[in-house]
Amino acid sequence: MFLKQFGATSSIFILFFIVQESLINQLTFLAGGFSIFLILTLLWASLSTPEAAAASGFGAGLLLDLSPSTSGPLGHWTLILVLMSYAIAFFSDGADNTRGNPLSLIFMVVLAQVIVLISYLVTGFLLGITATSFVQTLTTVIGSAIWTLVITPLLLPPVLWLHDLTLDSRARI
Amino acid sequence: MRNGGENRGRLLLVMLIVSSLFLITLDLRGVSVISGLRSATHTALSPFQRAGNAALSPVKNFLGEVTNLGRTRNQIEDLRKQNQKLRERLILRKNQDGEITQLKSILDLAGTARFQIVSAKVIAQGSSLAFTRTITIDAGTASGIKKNMTVISGSGLVGVVKEVFASSAIVMLATDPEFKVGVRISGTQQIGILAGQGSSSANLQLLDNQTMIKIGDVLLARGSTNGEPFVPGVPVGLVTSVSNAAGAVTQSATVKYFANFGALGVVSVVVKAPDADPRDALTPAKPVPTPVPTVTVFVTPNPVASPSITGN
Repeated sequence: MFLKQFGATSSIFILFFIVQESLINQLTFLAGGFSIFLILTLLWASLSTPEAAAASGFGAGLLLDLSPSTSGPLGHWTLILVLMSYAIAFFSDGADNTRGNPLSLIFMVVLAQVIVLISYLVTGFLLGITATSFVQTLTTVIGSAIWTLVITPLLLPPVLWLHDLTLDSRARI
Repeated sequence: MRNGGENRGRLLLVMLIVSSLFLITLDLRGVSVISGLRSATHTALSPFQRAGNAALSPVKNFLGEVTNLGRTRNQIEDLRKQNQKLRERLILRKNQDGEITQLKSILDLAGTARFQIVSAKVIAQGSSLAFTRTITIDAGTASGIKKNMTVISGSGLVGVVKEVFASSAIVMLATDPEFKVGVRISGTQQIGILAGQGSSSANLQLLDNQTMIKIGDVLLARGSTNGEPFVPGVPVGLVTSVSNAAGAVTQSATVKYFANFGALGVVSVVVKAPDADPRDALTPAKPVPTPVPTVTVFVTPNPVASPSITGN
């Protein structure tokens, strides 16, 4: 049962990763654009238990670290997504007014996305990754938040459906 | 029980964090397996990225155009201006090339006849609505030009100076209906009077009824006293048709001028005629007819009879 769930979840994440890398990353969006893979990870985590969220965050982080467009060391995204996925799941676990309310989910994902990006920048700075200018960074973070606010409502129904389909009743909303 | 679950969760979290840090450490230490993983991912993703790029090309181009709309418009405007400038320069260059060619042929003609000339650009053409054929040139008395001087082009006679100003002059063209010039036929030296008709051809009236003219005869200016208004020897035109009207005292003919009056860019005013008459030296060479290739086919009868088909 666990293997089946693991396989299905991995397939969904890999599919979104391929879409992100081969389609979304090819287009130039205003103010940095968005990452449907990151949105999926955070949405998935917000719907899961903290342990499952941490595990899915680990897998998603690993995929992001293996992306050709990533400049940081392997494990950088993994570390951040493990922590953020666990945190988002921890705060929403058992809080029905969060999971049952799409608006709360959307705003939680947007907030988590901003925190993820800032964490990535800060830890990247500590790991010696050259950062862009402050204005550029700020534009990217704010732009990404706005894009996420627009894209998440569109992604929410299919992700909810996939999550229901994949995980057993214990992990469902 | 709940406490045990929380502990397992925390343990899992710690394990995952440690794994992440372990991976970071390995990567920062330059372990080759890590870079191998990235290169394998890149290889696996390449076909998808290529396909995505091909599929999204029209969208990317559209987005690029929308994003750079203002910039593209400015670029188009700049390129239009640049294109217009280049077109103007090209026209000017073509015009200059034409003028150089005309000037060169005038110099060739004037050099052969030893005419002293002043070259000038045609700056205006008289209105044909005034029923006269004139041009205005950008040289006048300041350049030594006087009234009744001969005006030539590289092909031959153009006209005569009618009015002179300080820095310009009006030239009556040979096509003007009032224009008349004494001519002689190159070779036979028969003389006549050529009168303009308002078109590119003129009417020749021979003075001697004993002489005959034929199509293709070349007419040269006979010349006036002191070379004014016409210097001698200037090519004028070619006989294109001869009229032998019954009862006419002398022969008349239609002559086509050598000068192309529709494309006069540069002309020269002969300010001093040569001491000696150039006679027929300026007669243009007759055009050499283009040989028409002919093919002769000789057919030799084959002595060997064709094989006959016999049935059994």
